[in-house]
Amino acid sequence: MQRRSFMQGLLLGALASGSRIEVLRAALPGETGPARFAAGLAQRPWLAGWKSVGVESLGPTRATVEGRWPGSLTGALYRNGPAWFERGDLRYQHWFDGDGMLQSWRFHGGEVTHAARMVATTKFVQEQKSGRFEFGAAGTTIEGARPVRNNDDANTANTAVVRIGDRVFALWEGGSAYEVDPVTLESRGPATWREDLVAAPFSAHPLLERDGSAWNFGSLDFFGAHGVLIWRIGADGRLLRTSVLKADGPGYLHSFAMTDQYLVFTFMPYRMAESGAYFERLRFAPDLACRVALVPKDALDVPRWFEAPFAAIYHFADAYEHRGEVVVRAARHADIEEARSPMAAAMRGELGPPVSNTELVSLRLDLARGKARWEAHGVRGFEFPTFDARTPGDQPALLFAPTSVRPVTAPYFNAISSIDTRRERVQAHRYGADVMAEEHRFVPRPGSSKPGDGWLVGTLLDFARGRSGVTVLDARRVGDGPVATAWVPYTVPLGFHGWFTETPPGTT
Amino acid sequence: MNTPLMFLSFVSLMFLAGTAHGGELAVTITDIRAAEGSLRVAVVNTDAGWNNQEKPVAFKTVAAAQGEMTLTFAGLPDGKYAVQVMHDQNDNDKLDTNFVGIPSEGYGFSNNPNVMRRAHFDEAQFDLAGNTAISIRLR
Repeated sequence: MQRRSFMQGLLLGALASGSRIEVLRAALPGETGPARFAAGLAQRPWLAGWKSVGVESLGPTRATVEGRWPGSLTGALYRNGPAWFERGDLRYQHWFDGDGMLQSWRFHGGEVTHAARMVATTKFVQEQKSGRFEFGAAGTTIEGARPVRNNDDANTANTAVVRIGDRVFALWEGGSAYEVDPVTLESRGPATWREDLVAAPFSAHPLLERDGSAWNFGSLDFFGAHGVLIWRIGADGRLLRTSVLKADGPGYLHSFAMTDQYLVFTFMPYRMAESGAYFERLRFAPDLACRVALVPKDALDVPRWFEAPFAAIYHFADAYEHRGEVVVRAARHADIEEARSPMAAAMRGELGPPVSNTELVSLRLDLARGKARWEAHGVRGFEFPTFDARTPGDQPALLFAPTSVRPVTAPYFNAISSIDTRRERVQAHRYGADVMAEEHRFVPRPGSSKPGDGWLVGTLLDFARGRSGVTVLDARRVGDGPVATAWVPYTVPLGFHGWFTETPPGTT
Repeated sequence: MNTPLMFLSFVSLMFLAGTAHGGELAVTITDIRAAEGSLRVAVVNTDAGWNNQEKPVAFKTVAAAQGEMTLTFAGLPDGKYAVQVMHDQNDNDKLDTNFVGIPSEGYGFSNNPNVMRRAHFDEAQFDLAGNTAISIRLR
């Protein structure tokens, strides 16, 4: 890799803002700014999901429990998502731009407590001082954005959260993982795994082995190169090694998948328009094939490459090996423009198309023939798939994903589903007309080792009553609805991903 | 291998401040993130100087203070100059970078060109006529 490619390349939105500013939404606050959003919110209360949070912390708040919270379900669900969207008369236009707010829902003795805190990134701290957006954003052009030193000046730490060892990290995809205090949620700063890895991208979707060690990747495309940096983190939260996987052209990837033997990276081809923030310039290239790297975990430098027809995917789910194939499941987006800026209308305070025009697909890699193909399952309209990682490596896992079940009030998920592709069975529970549903994490039932035996713990936003909540269902009987739900008397903006841990560090 | 920024090899340079004659250049450096290490400031007047192929016409190292500092360079004849600043926070005489050459320490150039690469000499160049003041914002 050419080291100088950094300066020729672009580091997400911040570095993409450049010196030449063209038509700016930011310059039209009356059309797209906070006032417009506020007017929209007055008419469409579901827009609470995209309302700027406006405070640095919430709680701790004892939640009101409906039903009986399972006494044996103890621990914490951490959540992360964009939450701070407005400063002055500027409102971000892209959902991915918002500064990250980390939340914790803690479960102990049948009681539930909520707390939240903005991640104190370099960007957020500086902008809190100045009262205006100063740094470039992933999907909105910021007029006069200050030049950045490196990726971490633009890091919003707004996408996901993971516990590795006793360390908890708020994750973005273009820069460092931000370590946070597992109890207070106060930021400890960007993780420097090794001196030469300062500000190196660490994706929002690390995958954990059963022993607690982790794999992750960081896209090198943010530096003008092509490929990924593969991260290997030990169960103690320390770096074991890194490896560079070079690709032969531009390829976007937000997440990856793994089997017992392999890591699978699917690179979605794209081209970049000349000006604007990163997601304003990004153009997926459906005329080109996806390149897929099958990387043996024990030989990271010996990838095997496949080509598959184009697909736009943010989230890969489980992967397994069966009869000479490696199979990876994913939520494929049909509308690549919607995929480029999900819920764009909501960010403006408007009603837009329903979220996630997606379909469940399997990417099948034929190891003998070296061929790759997509198989569609006919299950549509979901995102943020999760599964029980204990599922044996030769069979598909039961998937869990927010979805929409009619009647629909808001253009967002209102239900949770379980998807069993082996039995071709989908169960769903609709939370109600005024409730929006987020990702649900699978939690194994204590003492049980049977795959799929456990709970789903997910978060909700009840916009009619102005409250956010956490709910628990029996993962085997999703259609029965919640066992219990706990609510706090305020709403938190909808986020992306969470992480459940039975034994939160610092509390045992 | 050069770092992308190809900063001057500060440690090998002699201090070459001008004589008492000529104009004074005042360089105000803002956005200094930490009171750690040193600011290393080089004034050059040629493309070769900018690219580390000849010595700068003036060079100063000062202990870094957080926020803003002003350094003066006396005795500079009128002409075209360019200034580059590095915040050597750990005083190891180089601009630290990561594995792909992205800086992890602060830096800046005269004219504050909004480019995501090392600025070119002509982008950082300015006219000095008598006493002149410029401001460089570190990133």
